[in-house]
Amino acid sequence: MALNKRRFDALIIGAGGAGLNAAIQLANTDARVAVVSKVFPTRSHTVAAQGGVNAALANVLPDNWHWHMFDTVKGSDYLGDQDAIEFMCREAIPTVYELEHNGVPFSRLDDGKIYQRAFGGQSQDFGGAQAARTCAAADRTGHAILHALYQQNVRARTHFFDEYFAIDLIRDDEGAILGALVMEIETGEPLLIEAKATVLATGGCGQVYRTTSNAHINTGDGMAMALRAGIPLMDMEFFQFHPTGIAGRGMLITEGVRGEGGYLVNRDGERFMERYAPNAKDLASRDVVSRAIVTEVKEGRGCGPQADHVLLKVDHLGEEIVSKRLPGIRESGRIFAGVDAAHEPLPVFPTAHYVMGGIPTDPYGRVIVPQGTGEEVVPGLYAAGECACVSVHGANRLGGNSLLDILVFGRAAGLDVIENLQEHKNHRPMNESSVEAAMARLTRWDQKGEGISIRELRDEFRKTMEDHAGVFRTEEIMGEGVEKLKALRDRLPEVRLHDHSKVFNTARVEALELENLFDTGIAIAYSALMRKESRGAHSRPDYPDRDDTNWMKHSLYFREDDRMDYKPVRTKPLTVETFPPKARVY
Amino acid sequence: MKFLVSRFNPESDTSPYMQEFEVEVVRGMMLRDALLEIKRHDESFAFRHSCGEGVCGSDGVNVNGTNKLACITPISELTEPVEVRPFPGRPIIRDLVVDMTQFYQQYRAVKPWLVRDDPMPEQEILQSPEERDKLDGLYECILCGCCSTACPSFWWNPEKFHGPQALLTAWRFLADSRDQATDERLDALEGPYKLFRCHTIMNCVDVCPKGLNPTKAIGHIKTLMLKNAV
Amino acid sequence: MSRKASGLKAWAIQRLTAIYIGLFALYLVAVLLFAAPVDFVAWKEWIGGPLVSVMLLLFIVSVLMHAWIGVRDILIDYVHPIAIRASLLGLVAMALVGMGLWAAQALILVRMA
Repeated sequence: MALNKRRFDALIIGAGGAGLNAAIQLANTDARVAVVSKVFPTRSHTVAAQGGVNAALANVLPDNWHWHMFDTVKGSDYLGDQDAIEFMCREAIPTVYELEHNGVPFSRLDDGKIYQRAFGGQSQDFGGAQAARTCAAADRTGHAILHALYQQNVRARTHFFDEYFAIDLIRDDEGAILGALVMEIETGEPLLIEAKATVLATGGCGQVYRTTSNAHINTGDGMAMALRAGIPLMDMEFFQFHPTGIAGRGMLITEGVRGEGGYLVNRDGERFMERYAPNAKDLASRDVVSRAIVTEVKEGRGCGPQADHVLLKVDHLGEEIVSKRLPGIRESGRIFAGVDAAHEPLPVFPTAHYVMGGIPTDPYGRVIVPQGTGEEVVPGLYAAGECACVSVHGANRLGGNSLLDILVFGRAAGLDVIENLQEHKNHRPMNESSVEAAMARLTRWDQKGEGISIRELRDEFRKTMEDHAGVFRTEEIMGEGVEKLKALRDRLPEVRLHDHSKVFNTARVEALELENLFDTGIAIAYSALMRKESRGAHSRPDYPDRDDTNWMKHSLYFREDDRMDYKPVRTKPLTVETFPPKARVY
Repeated sequence: MKFLVSRFNPESDTSPYMQEFEVEVVRGMMLRDALLEIKRHDESFAFRHSCGEGVCGSDGVNVNGTNKLACITPISELTEPVEVRPFPGRPIIRDLVVDMTQFYQQYRAVKPWLVRDDPMPEQEILQSPEERDKLDGLYECILCGCCSTACPSFWWNPEKFHGPQALLTAWRFLADSRDQATDERLDALEGPYKLFRCHTIMNCVDVCPKGLNPTKAIGHIKTLMLKNAV
Repeated sequence: MSRKASGLKAWAIQRLTAIYIGLFALYLVAVLLFAAPVDFVAWKEWIGGPLVSVMLLLFIVSVLMHAWIGVRDILIDYVHPIAIRASLLGLVAMALVGMGLWAAQALILVRMA
């Protein structure tokens, strides 16, 4: 049967904040742009972002982008690239105004300006008093932004392929990307989409862990596609565990709760963050708070019958503030913890939340790979959002910087694609062998007979990741983990689908996702084992200190032979002075 | 606990049928957890789901006759046997997965974006907290479709009646102090179909998992239309 | 149904006529309870009075319009084939107009008598 083909100027894979903000730039020109998403766009996980988006608007307290930049560099534990961080913090301001113009219903201040709240890691005047930099639409900011961006794309008549699953990138012998093979979930039919430029905006991979705030769809699809196309993943060892997931379930309780004045207590009712971060207390950086909670529980000061969580108190703020500023949290607490946050504390424990690492790109969203002693751009390929690593978050992301990252760099990628299309008027010739390789990934699941079930291997994999690549990491725990993961990976070819039907076969989608989970999960575990220092979210009891002499560098994991490589951190900003590494205390 | 789940695979079945499953219920279990448990035993069972916390709007289903979001519906609130069916009135693609094309078409038909004729200011368009408060109860819609697929008027005229979801969205923009297309929006809703098929049956209000009130929004649109007409 | 068929106007008329029908019904009940005409002559006199006959005429018109909009709504909801719907609407219109004429005739006869 002949393979169906479609041609577009640009192909965007993923319809979250990054993909939609890239698409809207392109749709506003006369470029033909296709957006492929495995779910209807407003179901993308951007919708779950709660707290807000950072920008130094100074609507509440004095602020400027340079302070924002300092906080981000410090928050990254000096692993973030300072040129990219400067770019992001400057762009933050027009980006938020553009969002507002696009209809996002931000909460407001009495003077009519956008409401901004305090978030962890934010300071005035390079490490001074707490700043209020996070622009919020109650505690549903991601939802408000995603819907507004989708609406703007509807206005601009962007071409959507809803519920299409991307199988693999298609590339020619020179490594240029020619588009992607995708599958229509409703019919199970493959479709080849040719494009002069392809943007990966597929989001994160939180599903590699068993307990996660991430949605079922966050399976690292774009990252795994890049790996299979020979592109490395950068800084994958840095995985953020959000301090306040609902204990035992993983659903997120936004940092905004602490920004509004909520705080954590242990079984003795002690406000323990005062011990770990005397100044910032409950608004210290996320890695600091997560480790503090895990330490409290490990040392027997946890709450509940199992002493396996701590409590987040908000009830002292009063019912009015809670229902006005944190309505979604109150609802989640009621549904998932059976607790009314306005009257009782919420049981919380860290939950796998965000991957700082990803596909290496420059600030224009172009994917870059090592070449000789330097780097070069992969022709025709872009990445933006959580699946990309620019790197602005370095070893630890600040709250409110992820929505910012996806919007700023989604937009930048879209704009660069427009420029790129001026120079490249024609599609490159198709490469049949690459299409065949991608088709093989699809047809592999047509194999019949007895075998391991998807569920069995997935459960075992996610548990192994949680036990061996979690919050605390020693050589022994991780070494064992990598061996276990490799052994599990060897069993992957034995997995069989029992259901081979075509129409809306979610089992087939989960099989394809399982392969992606393996590729990204092993990248995390491997990179983590190799980094012998503690930095940001990567915390090693056996190497408790940050080692700037040997380890102030980005890791690159290649799928082929599980090879590691490293590249220097870009410490020179665009226009201002470098922030030299300092001890990171809050 | 006994579950009766609607099954239909167009490749092998001529019509939907109910299949029985026994699911071991644990404390705090949501309906989505039970559906996932069923899928663990039978991977061919298909339903949409994603975030698991009631914000993505993927897993709307009909449970014991009422449209609900599976991920925020506690099993403890359901009576046995739990009958799970796809949304009523929509073409079934497979099992609990329905074709929502018309629902999305109606959403797009109300021009769900902010329209502004004035030049954009350099900073934000100002809006007072009181003006912003008018959007509460409107912008939170997650497009799950529970309301429109529970609406008899939408069952009878899905191609012409906008349905509660799209009308809630229409009012979300009419109520926004920043929007400058009030007349165009109202004109577009005139005629007996798009807006006026609503007979205030209020199924939409009963089923909305986010506690929104489309009927009230529709009432606001009618009142505004009347005000503008006289 | 033509694209120009009214939405707002029909909706507003339905509500206005409903209010009038309700008020008039209350008035009717009050009269019958507290000042019911004792015989046919008194009855004719009451109905034939200028104010009452105008109110009654308005009531009849209201009921007919209200019925027309209500039936039209039901037909729009449930009867989709355009030919059948048009025929039914035609029949209903004829019946309503007939009833209206009949009522008007009765009213005129009462006043002339």
